[in-house]
Amino acid sequence: MSTSRQLQLVLVTPEQTLLDEPVTAVRLPLFDGLAGLRPGRAPMVGRLGTGELRFDAVGGGTRSYYVDGGFVQVKGTVVSVLTNRAVPSNEIDRAEADKLLDEARSMPAATDEAYDEKKRAEDRARQLQAIAARS
Amino acid sequence: MANARAIVKRLKAVKNVRKITRTMELIATARFKKAMDRATEAAAYTKKLAEIVADLSAGDLEFSHPLLEAREAQKKCVLLILTSNRGLCGGYNGAVLRLAMQRIKEARELEQDLRIEVSGKRGTAFLKFSGIEWDEQYLDFEDQPAFDAVDEIASRFAEAYVREEIDRVDVVYTRFKTVSRQSAVMETLLPVGDLAEEQDDAKAGGSDLQYEFLPSAEEILEEIVPASFKARVFKCFLDAAVSEQIARMVAMKGATENADEMIRDFSQQYNRARQSQITSELAEIIGGAAALE
Repeated sequence: MSTSRQLQLVLVTPEQTLLDEPVTAVRLPLFDGLAGLRPGRAPMVGRLGTGELRFDAVGGGTRSYYVDGGFVQVKGTVVSVLTNRAVPSNEIDRAEADKLLDEARSMPAATDEAYDEKKRAEDRARQLQAIAARS
Repeated sequence: MANARAIVKRLKAVKNVRKITRTMELIATARFKKAMDRATEAAAYTKKLAEIVADLSAGDLEFSHPLLEAREAQKKCVLLILTSNRGLCGGYNGAVLRLAMQRIKEARELEQDLRIEVSGKRGTAFLKFSGIEWDEQYLDFEDQPAFDAVDEIASRFAEAYVREEIDRVDVVYTRFKTVSRQSAVMETLLPVGDLAEEQDDAKAGGSDLQYEFLPSAEEILEEIVPASFKARVFKCFLDAAVSEQIARMVAMKGATENADEMIRDFSQQYNRARQSQITSELAEIIGGAAALE
């Protein structure tokens, strides 16, 4: 049962398929926190939050992407991640993340919606910063 | 008989034009391949979304979402027209604009308040010519529309629809069916019709798996409706881009062939003119010599 020890991770954005390769484990940001997926996970569909998608490649080594919302679907051994935006972590620029956070902080928060929007933007920028600091 | 010089001049002009049309044909072919690749890549996303929707609908869920609800009174409508920035692509823009005019006329008859948004310089030029005012224009979509830019437009529509500022959104664009078939169509983007409608393929591959929905099927649905709406708008832009390149390719191929034909005709005419010139010169010389004897 060698095949069941692997997951096929498919990462797609509306523009392109970024990734389609076998992995041994995936950690991804669900709407309420990090979730880990190992081979043999029961089928599920989940909403993604903002944060870092990390996975262990079959040959060893860990790579990661920054993902911004979307969905994950686990079906058999296939993990499909659908997201609007995905950036490889090593391409994230710390300075840019700082700038985004500043921008988010200066957003007006007059109404409840605007406040939520601001919170989301801040959260996004902080996640970017955290990833940039790690890589 | 026409002057050989004049014919040479025209022949040269046609040859130059042929060079240009031939080059444009090649460029359009290259761009078409690129645009096509992008469209194929994008199809993966739409397919996955459709799969999830199919899985959701297998769970006997009541589909309800503000974007799915049709309004009875359609007073404020939006028409999005996708044309190209450049011309020389045959009937591509004409077909789209003809459909758009139909919709504009219909809206006038029904006394709907129609907001017109145009992408592409050809569209704005046409509307200006027809004396129709438009409310928004997008001129920076080339052959590779970016999702972020489309996302902005789609989000604006979705938000306005939820706030009931608009009751309907239509798009007129050229749909890509196959490489040899594209046609201008008008589609209603909002309200989103039946989500499961286009997902026949996905359903065939669907299974009876019991999914775990996190946080819940309803909340996933709430997110997936706007996502699939955006994907649909993006697909319209991609289709339009691919079709534009195909239309240009075909138009330029025709132009090159016409130029070839003209070059053949002109060469023949030129040869004839040259020959008759020589003949008449010879006749003159012989005539002159005969007169001297």
